[in-house]
Amino acid sequence: MLTYDAYHRPTSLPEALRLWRDAPEGSRLVSGATDLLPAARDGRLGDVHLPALIDLTGVTELRGYDFANGHVALGAGTVYQDFLTDPVLRRALPCMPYVSIWFADDQIRETATLAGNLVNASPVADGTPPVVALNGLVELSKLDGDAITSRRVPVRDFITGPGRTVIAPGEIMTRVFLDTCYGYGGAFQKVGQRRSLVISVACCAALVKLDESGRVFEDVRLALGGVGPGPIRLDDSERMLRGEPLSEELMQAAAGLAAEKVASRSRRDYRRDVVVSFVRAALSEALSNAGAKAPLQTMEDMANV
Amino acid sequence: MSETRITCEVNGRKVARTVATHKRLLDLLRDDLNLTGTKEGCGAGECGTCSVFVDGKLVKSCLVPAARAEGARIETIEGLAGMGPLTPVQKAFHKTGASQCGYCIPGMVMAATNCLRLNPEADIDEIKERMGGNICRCTGYTKILEAVEIARDVIAGRRPEGDLDTDEPLGDSFIGHNVRRIDAPAKVTGRLRYAADMKLVDMLQMQVLRSPHPHARIVSIDTSVAEAMEGVECVITAADVPGKDGFGVFVHDQPIMARGKVRHVGEAVAAVAAEDLLTARRAVAAIKVEYEPLPVIGTPEDAIAPGAPVIHDYAPDNVVKHIPLRKGNPEAGFAEADLIIEDSFSTQSVEHAYLEPEAGVAFVDHDDVVTVHSPSQNITHHRHMLADILGLPINKVRMVMSAVGGGFGGKEDMIYQGMLALAAIRTRRPVQLNFTREESLIASAKRHPSKVSYKMGLKRTGKITAITFDMLSDGGAYGMSSEGVMRKAAILSCGPYEVHNLQVDTRAVYTNNTPSGAFRTFGGMQAQFATESMMDIAAEALGMDPFELRRINMYRKGSITHTQHRLDRASLDMVLDAAETASRWESGAPNVRGAARSDMGGPDTRQPCTLGARIVAEAADLSQGDHPTKASTEAAE
Ligand SMILES: Cc1cc2nc3c(=O)[nH]c(=O)nc-3n(C[C@H](O)[C@H](O)[C@H](O)COP(=O)(O)OP(=O)(O)OC[C@H]3O[C@@H](n4cnc5c(N)ncnc54)[C@H](O)[C@@H]3O)c2cc1C
Ligand code: FES
Ligand code: FES
Repeated sequence: MLTYDAYHRPTSLPEALRLWRDAPEGSRLVSGATDLLPAARDGRLGDVHLPALIDLTGVTELRGYDFANGHVALGAGTVYQDFLTDPVLRRALPCMPYVSIWFADDQIRETATLAGNLVNASPVADGTPPVVALNGLVELSKLDGDAITSRRVPVRDFITGPGRTVIAPGEIMTRVFLDTCYGYGGAFQKVGQRRSLVISVACCAALVKLDESGRVFEDVRLALGGVGPGPIRLDDSERMLRGEPLSEELMQAAAGLAAEKVASRSRRDYRRDVVVSFVRAALSEALSNAGAKAPLQTMEDMANV
Repeated sequence: MSETRITCEVNGRKVARTVATHKRLLDLLRDDLNLTGTKEGCGAGECGTCSVFVDGKLVKSCLVPAARAEGARIETIEGLAGMGPLTPVQKAFHKTGASQCGYCIPGMVMAATNCLRLNPEADIDEIKERMGGNICRCTGYTKILEAVEIARDVIAGRRPEGDLDTDEPLGDSFIGHNVRRIDAPAKVTGRLRYAADMKLVDMLQMQVLRSPHPHARIVSIDTSVAEAMEGVECVITAADVPGKDGFGVFVHDQPIMARGKVRHVGEAVAAVAAEDLLTARRAVAAIKVEYEPLPVIGTPEDAIAPGAPVIHDYAPDNVVKHIPLRKGNPEAGFAEADLIIEDSFSTQSVEHAYLEPEAGVAFVDHDDVVTVHSPSQNITHHRHMLADILGLPINKVRMVMSAVGGGFGGKEDMIYQGMLALAAIRTRRPVQLNFTREESLIASAKRHPSKVSYKMGLKRTGKITAITFDMLSDGGAYGMSSEGVMRKAAILSCGPYEVHNLQVDTRAVYTNNTPSGAFRTFGGMQAQFATESMMDIAAEALGMDPFELRRINMYRKGSITHTQHRLDRASLDMVLDAAETASRWESGAPNVRGAARSDMGGPDTRQPCTLGARIVAEAADLSQGDHPTKASTEAAE
């Protein structure tokens, strides 16, 4: 059971930053509360008492998004359902609808934020691999006297281990910068125990762009989650494919490189087997979403061999 | 405890309440506004029994801080129909019989309503996807999904509204026919009150201190700090039990709270009744128990090993129950066999996971009758046991069965009603205990994990000549229904097959695991898993069709069962024929692959899960470069 003495609902960023700077030791920020509330239960943290919660859902500056220089800057209030329902975001971030559809369920997605997912830094978070594939940067803001100062940190450096990030006292994550990937095909693959409401055993985000001929990989982005303490970008596999003509053998070889990246100690052999067919399937799905002409092998075809 | 004033609109009416600051929206609705149609099945976002609309968006109210409701517009299950007639969704649920225990149903109705509000043309894949956050454990999803499709068509005007109130004509069987349940309107509107929804004037909340150890002697329990806390009305332990402590479906080996020692993790050790839940939880945390760990029995094999620690003094061999069956002469049967197969089959512990966690209310009435309302599956037996435990005549104990939000056997054990009754007697006030999901998982019975060692002898013709069947089951820390489960497992052991020579032993033994108890099939599943697997293995070894092998051995009219009962009728022949036809079985041994056999896919097999019904169409559009809508694409085909 989570209890707290005070609940603040700031409406502006300066107010939120002030409340956060002045909050008694042990206070927490809260966005969707979908990590914070379930954590305070028996078998996890048990009963937790906090001096104060600072609710960021009413902060105007954290809503919405803007575009600039090949980036989209998402307000920290962006929830997973937005990636499904907002056509502008769907086009700019073609892998995100697929991530979202696998994420929890429609109801949780209405409140669960991408920012909360990143700060929570779970090794099995679904949000971290796509953000890494989209060269994500997070903006952390705090008060310096009365002025707001911000720094930007690549997500790869932001998460330092399970549940660990470089966020400093007084800082609030205000924005998440992602590459816009117009014209890419996006995909997300996830292994869990059921379809809805399931935390990943492993997951993979993929983005593929084809050249004009539709037969050559112009760009490929691949990242894995659930196989190590943090998300893993598959740079080697990407390099192997970039600029090359589409071919089954090459994709298989690129997928094969992923096995080497599995660092999780639990169920390691299983995860190694899984990620290879996984990366392969994510590539196929992304290719077909990118409008590839050649008939491509799907996950089901592979299962039926 | 700090308080906050919350003003919001609920089901079209302005409400204002001052509540504890840390409350969740779910608590505000249930405790302060008495809108108990919104349920708490898990408290962790996993089940969907708490779904409500906040500013038009469906969310899980167990994950919404109440303070966030300030200024918001909230709609609950009670508000859908309001004072008017049921909505088409509610009526469709009624029509298809889409409510069994009903505990998930308010949330299901909310999710269905949300789905059709967002996309009135949602197809079945999208409906499934949008309702994916809601779990049902008893109706099954078929009727629920059927109801949503009917409601969709009525709302879209494709189906007459009158259809919702009329029933399809009954064919020649009730099987597959939708039947209206008379209590469905109460369930689809959230009006039906389960034990956790009851509120009595002056009611206290109970919380339970549970054992962190699988096996330990209780050296001391110090309740003084807890008792001195403001708002605590009583703290009870085994020492407070006035009568003869002990309950169980067969052997009364379980005290209402641990007496002298704890035998499994999660066993109740002490209980607190206090003015509110938080005070009760804080008081529980203030109880100090000193334990001296004892050697732990983790597996049934360890329980019967020589020199094993003893869990219950009355059973020095740790055996809860051994059921031996003997028929004919197995030795002679095996001697006559052309083929002997041996194998072993293990099953695991399974949780019932009914959506309603255990809950109850107890009070002492004006005639000194101790009254307990709870979703008990066995009230008469509970009443008798409770009278003994309380040392009261039977006419001073009353057990009322509240609406059961799913049981499946898991609510046959009187694991908390004793504590409630005792606290009601001690305080002379109504006392309520609502388990958390975690508590329900840790403290309630599970399906017996069991291991069957099997030996089967057969003639080349397929006739079984002898069987030895030896089942060892993990009964866990207390007897509960183990005896009955072992009896049933023995009776069903070798399946619906006539075997002249058999030796069957089923045994449940005590361990320090969570107690095993009643669970749908009552031992039958574990036995049949072994027997039917053996039949298939035998068919493969003999190169025989598995239906054929079963027909050769099946019970017929006049057969003598494993327990020496002569059957005056038998229907397995019809069952096998029906199964063979329905499955379009292609005859042959199990391991051959004929023209129509394949391991995956095929007609009538369930297709793999799909995801993204909403975005698949769009992705296809993008790749085609134009943007037809999904509906128009379909129409064009
Ligand atoms: C039933 C269920 C299913 C789930 N399924 C999935 C799933 O499929 N995949 C998955 O990855 N996760 C899943 N989750 C976990 C959770 O929903 C996500 O991690 C979610 O993105 C967390 O976001 P939130 O806004 O709810 O975070 P909160 O719970 O509000 O906060 C999480 C953490 O981030 C901090 N925080 C929040 N916002 C900020 C900010 N702006 N700046 C700094 N710190 C901040 C909080 O202090 C807290 O430490 C599931 C959770 C539940 C309950
Ligand atoms: S999802 Fe809220 S109670 Fe289960
Ligand atoms: S009717 Fe759905 S859980 Fe019982």
